[in-house]
Amino acid sequence: MGNLIGLAWRLLRGGGRRGLLGAGLTAAAVAISTALLLFTVAVNFAFQGRADREAWRNPVAAADGAVAVESVRTDHVRGQRITVVNLTALKPGVPAPPGLTRFPAPGEVWFSPALAELAGSLPAGQLADRFPGRRAGTVEEGTLVHPGELLVVRGQTPDSPELTVRAPGYADRDRGVGPVRISSFAGRHTDEAVGYQILGVVASVLMVVPLLVFGGAAARLTVARRDQRLAALRLVGATPGQVVTMTVAEAVITAFCGALLGLVLYGVCSPLLTGIEVAGGSWFLADLWPGAPAVAGVLVAVPLLVGLSAVAGLRRVVVSPLGVARRETPPAMRFIRVVALLAALATVPVVGGMGAGVGIFALSLGLAFGAVNLAGPWVVGRIGRIVARTARGPARLLAGRRLIDDPRSAWRTVSGVAMIGFIAGFIGLLVPDSGLFGSPDAAVLRVSAPPARLSEVAGQARERLSAAGVPATVRMTGGSEGKLKVVAVTPRAHDAATLDRARTALTGLVPGGVATTAADDQRASNRMLGDIRTGVVAVLAVCFLVAIASAGITAASSVLDRRQTYALLRLAGTPLSVLNAARRSETLIPLTVMGGGTIAAGMFCALPFVYAALNTTGLTVLLTCVVLGFAGVVGAGAASAPLLRSVTADPAPRPD
Amino acid sequence: MNVVLEGIGLVKRFGPAVALGGVGLAVRGGEAVAIMGPSGSGKSTLLHCLAGIMKPDEGEVRLLDRRIDTMGERERSALRRTRFGFVFQFGQLLPELPADENVALPLMLGDVSRADAVRRAREWFAPLGLAGMEERRPGELSGGQAQRVAIARALVTRPAVIFADEPTGALDQATGQETMRLLVEATKHNGASLVVVTHDPEVARWCDRVVEVRDGRVLPDPRGTAPAVATVPAAPAAAGPGGWDRETGAGR
Ligand SMILES: Nc1ncnc2c1ncn2[C@@H]1O[C@H](COP(=O)(O)OP(=O)(O)OP(=O)(O)O)[C@@H](O)[C@H]1O
Ligand SMILES: [Mg+2]
Repeated sequence: MGNLIGLAWRLLRGGGRRGLLGAGLTAAAVAISTALLLFTVAVNFAFQGRADREAWRNPVAAADGAVAVESVRTDHVRGQRITVVNLTALKPGVPAPPGLTRFPAPGEVWFSPALAELAGSLPAGQLADRFPGRRAGTVEEGTLVHPGELLVVRGQTPDSPELTVRAPGYADRDRGVGPVRISSFAGRHTDEAVGYQILGVVASVLMVVPLLVFGGAAARLTVARRDQRLAALRLVGATPGQVVTMTVAEAVITAFCGALLGLVLYGVCSPLLTGIEVAGGSWFLADLWPGAPAVAGVLVAVPLLVGLSAVAGLRRVVVSPLGVARRETPPAMRFIRVVALLAALATVPVVGGMGAGVGIFALSLGLAFGAVNLAGPWVVGRIGRIVARTARGPARLLAGRRLIDDPRSAWRTVSGVAMIGFIAGFIGLLVPDSGLFGSPDAAVLRVSAPPARLSEVAGQARERLSAAGVPATVRMTGGSEGKLKVVAVTPRAHDAATLDRARTALTGLVPGGVATTAADDQRASNRMLGDIRTGVVAVLAVCFLVAIASAGITAASSVLDRRQTYALLRLAGTPLSVLNAARRSETLIPLTVMGGGTIAAGMFCALPFVYAALNTTGLTVLLTCVVLGFAGVVGAGAASAPLLRSVTADPAPRPD
Repeated sequence: MNVVLEGIGLVKRFGPAVALGGVGLAVRGGEAVAIMGPSGSGKSTLLHCLAGIMKPDEGEVRLLDRRIDTMGERERSALRRTRFGFVFQFGQLLPELPADENVALPLMLGDVSRADAVRRAREWFAPLGLAGMEERRPGELSGGQAQRVAIARALVTRPAVIFADEPTGALDQATGQETMRLLVEATKHNGASLVVVTHDPEVARWCDRVVEVRDGRVLPDPRGTAPAVATVPAAPAAAGPGGWDRETGAGR
């Protein structure tokens, strides 16, 4: 065993410049794959972290043993959300809420750093006057949901209206919670945070599959370059076990180096990644560190998967020593693969009908991915037959015969990009249109009031606005929320400063009530839609990066594998352009067919989750993907043209 | 016979090492020339220079009255495709193509339609003893059969000169000699000249003339400069391979 690993190590090192190039390519592929995998894992931890940090502001009523009363309001300034937390202790010695050094005393206000800065830079009449009281300290930045979050924690007396009156019209968390008697600051995840966590899981599922395909392709790359040598070892009598051990050792050593490199790469890139804004804010660096156990898991799992994939790639050599040394017509791919695909596709609506939970979603996606991957080589082989039969020129003929000869490797080249077709088709149907909610009114501030006090509240509003010097019309209208009536305030000037002065003047008009515009109320849901679109772009970008890189690596390795044949063809006068054209057809023809097929399959699988028809956003996503996919694969193939030129320039090609 | 291909004063250096130190070689039409010599003496380098694969550092190479060593890569590549044929030790067949398409490939590269190219390629199979192997892939052929397919591929474009670098090196003695005989006969029958590098004196016997290379120089031919078999009639260029039967020997 130790001996064999030693031999594998020597083979790896002694592979010469080309051997090292191959190992380097594998390591690089594994590194990129690992870095992205770490990112994918980290995203979930990051959303989890945000949800945990936000939970204390979503209080849970204590059955008994309440120690404090908490209420949460949402106010707005300059188009940003301010979270206002009101607290009062019911007994002495209540522990401090997260981010504060002690429990706030009545009359104290604690600002988050960003809010403190904003309150200092805007005139008091626009922001600071809303939160009168003694500035007792700053909420620690690291405990906020995201850097730069606007948060104010106010200490109140137990009889303060903010903590005694249940404000009218507060149906959802978007506008406020409480007052609630709490026994601790544990709280629970907000619906919004849970929504983002689900989106994170979906994005991860979508990204993990291409990443694994990529890692597998990288592993096959090592094997493909080695199988000649290993077949020779088999011929001189190495046992299958020895051959497998050596290859796996080699692949795992390479993959482990690649995985470490990927960790470094991720570490270097994560400061840049923190700048990505989701849910209204960027990230703390710590958010993007998935923690030692998860990192260790990835570092173990990636080489393990690469090793397994290497074993699978070696099966042919191990079964028959002549399998690789002598190239025969491979047995035709069985039609059962397509039956499996159709069966899997048929179950998707059934599975989707069971509900829209994350598990179901991931399960149906996994099923469909697996089935497409299974049927891919069969379809590629079929396409090859058609291309070879109808080819007129040499390039087409070469391409067609190659597709028949090794449909699996041809499929590997395009599978990544074809899988994106699946994702694009899937997302294309699901992505919300940008104009879903229209553009809400941002000029009218509304505050709900009990019907009995309506005119009284309206009169107070007029007084407060004129005292603050904000000319405005005040109307009383029927609210949409049950029997509530609404006081609507329309400032004459429509600039942000005037609006914020009006908001400040109206603060506390109705106990527990906050004056908001329709735009304010929809900000969170609009932002989530925007984030979904950002997420779609990010997921697709990552997938494309991976798929195109893997197409490039596969193309390069296939040039290396066939360098002798290519070199001899070139010596005999075959123009490089013919060889390149053949290589291009070899990828583009299956890509066209499979890409179209996977887009259709993706759309089909999305059907159970769709509530609207294909919209312009979805269509744009789809078309962009198609263009990028083709351009990317052509580019990845063209990138290995210089490699082809250099390996065929050697006038005396040797078998190795 | 007139000189078809001529190398004059060829010098080729790889860094400080001199692979060819001023070699001259003239190949007449229809003539088979064997290049022999110890390993590392410069045989392959000489062949590569003559075939326009490498540019010599000094000297010139002429095909009929054209200088080919000064041509650009594109032009030399076209020349190799149309005027020369190549047979290497092994590995020149595309593993995924059936035998007939391997032979037809050079024709298709020259814009012959696929059906025509395959038809013309198949005409070579019976004379070379390959009847029935048209649809087999290289992995399903023996080494000798694969070399015969390679010979058919080299000849199918009716080139002026066939270059072979140890074409029998990977075969056993008997198969090697049989393959060599077919190579020489088929080449002559088509009026092409043959330049073949070999280690095997038995193989060299099939050629008209032997050129000995030592340390990058040509030794004087002990058999004299006159070809041993000078009277082989070249078949008319238009004749197909059908008029030639390998059993009775190259239509002599
Ligand atoms: N690409 C190269 N780079 C450096 N040196 C080379 C190169 N090709 C050939 N040589 C050197 O040139 C000399 C002649 O090489 P060549 O391949 O022509 O020998 P050969 O006679 O064909 O040998 P063999 O019978 O072993 O094939 C040798 O010393 C060889 O080392
Ligand atoms: Mg040689």
